[in-house]
Amino acid sequence: MTVPVEWYVALSAILFSIGALGVLMRRNAIIIFMSVELMLNAANLLFVAFSRYLGNLDGQVLVFFVITVAAAEVAVGLALIVVIFRTKQSINIDEINLMKG
Amino acid sequence: MNAFALAPLVLGLPILGVLFNGFVGRRFVEADRSVGEKWSGWAASIMALSAFVIVVLLFFSLQANGHHAEIVPMMDWISIPSANFHIPWAMQIDTLSVTMMLVVTGVGSLIHIYAIGYMHGDPNFSRFFTYLNLFLFFMLILVSGNNYLMLFVGWEGVGLCSFLLIGFWFDRTNEKGEAMNANAARKAFVANRVGDLAMILAMSLTFWTFGTLTFSPVFDSAVEMFHSGEMVHFGAFSASLGGVLTAITALFLVGATGKSAQIPLFVWLPDAMAGPTPVSALIHAATMVTSGIYLIVRSNVLFEIVRESHALVFGVISSPDLVALIGALTAVYAGLIAFTQFDIKKVLAYSTVSQLGFMIAAVGMGAYVAGMFHLITHAFFKALLFMGSGSVIHGMEHGHHHIAHKHGHGHDDHHDHFDPQDMRTMGGLRHHMPTTFWTYLVGSLALAGIVPLAGFWSKDEILAHASANSGGINTVVYALLTVAAFCTAFYMARQVKMVFFGAPRHKAAEHAHESPRTMTVPLVILAILAIGGGLLNFPNFGAEAAHGEETAVVEDTHATEAEADDHAAESDSHAATEADDHAAETDTHAAEGASGGINLALEHWLEHSIASFHLTEEGVVHMPHTPTSLQVPVAAISSVLAIIAIAVAYFVVYGSRPKTADERDPLQATPIWWMAVLPLNTLYMDYLIPAFNRLAEWAAHTLDWAFWHDFVHDNIIRNIFVGFANFASNVLDAQGVDGIVNGSGSVTRWLANQIRRSQTGYARNYALSVFLGTVVLLAYFLFMAR
Repeated sequence: MTVPVEWYVALSAILFSIGALGVLMRRNAIIIFMSVELMLNAANLLFVAFSRYLGNLDGQVLVFFVITVAAAEVAVGLALIVVIFRTKQSINIDEINLMKG
Repeated sequence: MNAFALAPLVLGLPILGVLFNGFVGRRFVEADRSVGEKWSGWAASIMALSAFVIVVLLFFSLQANGHHAEIVPMMDWISIPSANFHIPWAMQIDTLSVTMMLVVTGVGSLIHIYAIGYMHGDPNFSRFFTYLNLFLFFMLILVSGNNYLMLFVGWEGVGLCSFLLIGFWFDRTNEKGEAMNANAARKAFVANRVGDLAMILAMSLTFWTFGTLTFSPVFDSAVEMFHSGEMVHFGAFSASLGGVLTAITALFLVGATGKSAQIPLFVWLPDAMAGPTPVSALIHAATMVTSGIYLIVRSNVLFEIVRESHALVFGVISSPDLVALIGALTAVYAGLIAFTQFDIKKVLAYSTVSQLGFMIAAVGMGAYVAGMFHLITHAFFKALLFMGSGSVIHGMEHGHHHIAHKHGHGHDDHHDHFDPQDMRTMGGLRHHMPTTFWTYLVGSLALAGIVPLAGFWSKDEILAHASANSGGINTVVYALLTVAAFCTAFYMARQVKMVFFGAPRHKAAEHAHESPRTMTVPLVILAILAIGGGLLNFPNFGAEAAHGEETAVVEDTHATEAEADDHAAESDSHAATEADDHAAETDTHAAEGASGGINLALEHWLEHSIASFHLTEEGVVHMPHTPTSLQVPVAAISSVLAIIAIAVAYFVVYGSRPKTADERDPLQATPIWWMAVLPLNTLYMDYLIPAFNRLAEWAAHTLDWAFWHDFVHDNIIRNIFVGFANFASNVLDAQGVDGIVNGSGSVTRWLANQIRRSQTGYARNYALSVFLGTVVLLAYFLFMAR
């Protein structure tokens, strides 16, 4: 029994929405980070699903790239969060508002 | 022989002298007084003498040339092609200018040499000669320029030199501590300024009318316009030629009254005697003061056109008649004032004013040659008299020094305010100063018009002209000039008597002694000229038959008409052979040479410059004709009057007087004194000048200050200006310009404040906008970009 591709799309949309809402609504930088990962992986899921559905490996190759970029991003992002924590003693994103006009 | 190319040297040599004395002369004098003075003085004198030699060469060149006016261009001076305005720097060498140059350089050279002796020991010896040469330079520009502007340059230049030389001893003060010399210099300068203003106006009007200032084109177009009856157009309005020329000539007259010391501007000349005596002789007797006469003679064409056109000044009198009348009035009035003077130089100063009046009267009547003749002879004998008076003053000063030294050096109170120029302290000087006395006597008799000295012939020619052209103003002028001639003889006799005869009235006069050779030699030369000067324009004797067709018409009162006719005929031939001018002139000359020898030499010489010209259809209109023969009745009357005047003065009024220096002058008890003094002191000084001052004050304070400045300026000009400035500042600038600038600023600020709120600094807000942007883009790609 194969799972129809629409389900994958729906799951991916749900995951992406959770991620997006997490980014928009949460204040903890780590959680925002995790939400971003969620959105990336929602996209990955869709890539893989469509790859299989279309019988084309391009999507799966692209997923590797996305995972690589995400790993790099996490490395840089976590480093930034550590530095911010060291200076501010907090990772509450609302306290980081230097750009306020 | 042609020496015209040398003409610029006439101007260059005096300037060379100016440079020498101005820059190095002082060093010479300071290094070694006696040698330095010789260098400085003789350098200046040699420049004057060399200029004289060149002028003599020019004289012969002109004769060789058939007396043709020669223009010697030197450079372009002012050239404005768009306005067609060209003023060259060019000399006009014609018989008139050469005559003037001969007088200026000739008499000038003698006075330079005289001044070497006179100025001996003066601390500013070389400065004096610098000014003297500078004066020569400007005077020569005045008489040699070929246009009115060059004449004016000279006119102003001699005025400047006059100022500098009158105020030469500017640091001298009188007993009251007033700087009299400096004041006199300023007075001369200011009085001349009045005349100069008129000159500028006259020149402007001349240029406006004729479009040029060069002599011959001005005169040619004046004649042409008179001939065609053309009106003169000044932009929108136009005037008749006669009217315009009346204005020009009347303004020339005002200029001449300033420079030639005529009523009402003569007041500066007597004060100008504060200058050193050589200056009085050169500038204020022989040369500068005659420039007014030169101006009128030079402009004779304009004056004659006015005479011919019957245009009147203010509808009263034509401008040549006004010239004659002012000259005659000045001659009488200054002659009367000379009675009342005790200063030896002031007598001569008023005498000069009076004699200049004779010349002005002569040129006003159209007797241009007679005026020039008197100018020349007057230059001889008045320079002689001034230099003689300088010699007397010199002698008196030495006499005074002699006493001061004799009285010992111990006490300083020998400053009894001794005035070496006061004739009352003189007397008996003929024994101490024989050369000065004899030359002075010659000069006095020449001035008084005693036969056969120079003054007789020239004065007589003027009187003869006035009586021969009788009628109208000329009769009045004749009467006035006869009275003036009487006055002349009287005051000169009074002066000679007081100075040279009788017993010395002061110790200084007892110890006076003769002046050095450099001073007496020029005196002797001038005395010879004063004796023989009449030969320049010796009249024919007896009937005028000597002149060919001219009939014997001496007694005939219509003689002038006959003469005029005769002249018209003569000049018809002139006109007919205009193309062959040379031949005609040589013909005339041959004829005259045969009949008259040296007679009327000056008239024949000058008639090449003072030409007749075509005015009417009928032919040539002539200058008023001066009788060419001796007018026996006129000469007799003036001679008898002169002899009576001398006799009255010498034997009757001043017979044995004055005996002491403080004796009253016999004339002081008579009405004559008051007649002379009243108008000058009372009318002029007490009424006219205060009235003028009040008028000037009214004009300055009420009219100009209160009305013009306070009312017009403040209320109208200032208020309008301030109102507009306030509007511009408060409304235009503060609200308009600033509003735009500030408004754009505040709009930007307001906009920025609005936009700024979007920049919350919260990362999620930015994330939301990215998200929304993505949604919008996706929506676009999904639904719109199909």
